Amino acid sequence: MMPSRSYIAQAFHAAVPVMLGYVAIGIPCGILCDSIGLNALQALIMSLLFYSGAGQFMIPNMFLAGAPTASIIASVSFVNTRQMLYSAYFAPYAAHTSKGLSFLFAATVTDESYGVSVAQFEAGDWSLDRALMVNLFSQSSWALSNAVGVLVGSAIGIPLNIAAFAMTSIFICLLVTQKLTSANVIAAGAAMIGVVVCKMIGLSGPAILIGAVFGVVVAMGYAAVRKSAERRRV
Amino acid sequence: MSWEEFWVILVGCSLTILACRVLPMFLLKDRELPQWAMQALGLIPAAAFAALVANDLLEPGMFDEGAWPAAIPLLVACIVVIVARKTRSLLWSAVTGVAVYALLALIC
Repeated sequence: MMPSRSYIAQAFHAAVPVMLGYVAIGIPCGILCDSIGLNALQALIMSLLFYSGAGQFMIPNMFLAGAPTASIIASVSFVNTRQMLYSAYFAPYAAHTSKGLSFLFAATVTDESYGVSVAQFEAGDWSLDRALMVNLFSQSSWALSNAVGVLVGSAIGIPLNIAAFAMTSIFICLLVTQKLTSANVIAAGAAMIGVVVCKMIGLSGPAILIGAVFGVVVAMGYAAVRKSAERRRV
Repeated sequence: MSWEEFWVILVGCSLTILACRVLPMFLLKDRELPQWAMQALGLIPAAAFAALVANDLLEPGMFDEGAWPAAIPLLVACIVVIVARKTRSLLWSAVTGVAVYALLALIC
């Protein structure tokens, strides 16, 4: 069944910020891939099969640093374990949805498209098919930008730290538009502390996963303590 | 990088990320989850976005060579927070972040 026009338009509208952000970081990523001798076709294949912003920056960087193949795969995989959290989060929304649609959706979630879908699902009136279209619009932008980056090579100079701030800004917006419940605030604070502590002890690879899980655990503990305190008062 | 190295790295990384993306959803989907599990899933967005922001902005020892220019991203982040709270728009937040960052980097 073809999705309706209005669904496509809604999905596109929701995906635009991510698509533009992916142009800003996809082109520098392609330039980096060009510097290790990958061609535009390889950048496209990688963006279609692997599709991970952080991962596609890490691979050329580690390769340039002379890391062995096995250690590149291990480090990149470790960084991407945070995807498990997103996948678990969407499970209730995928209930009673066909296996094929659920699989395609789950396989194309990124940090940014996850964020867009969370915002849409929590605002209500959203569905997995539209969320999948958001993923595919974002992925198309990412794949094309990577290929363009390879083709233009280092002919244009984009300061990466500034371009990457588009993504940081998107995460900030998603964070501060969360519901301001005490459990959410504690989860966010603990997660930030967790990330910094991980980096301090040299675990920067899985820092996002460990930090986020720590945040959820601390907030769950807080909620349990508050509940038992309320029960005692009653 | 040769085509062989390219394929080995690509297939290795793609398989692990696919497992992380798909398995948790399929293990939990179509299942009655207990209330505590639903509560934990509901806390994931706040914790995950905070972790992503902290990962981008905070580095141990970032102020070792002085507070400036290391504070530029933090200052830009504060401005993005204000814009995000006001507009609730991802696009405006991203445009503001990049524009203010570029401006500060230019004049500092």
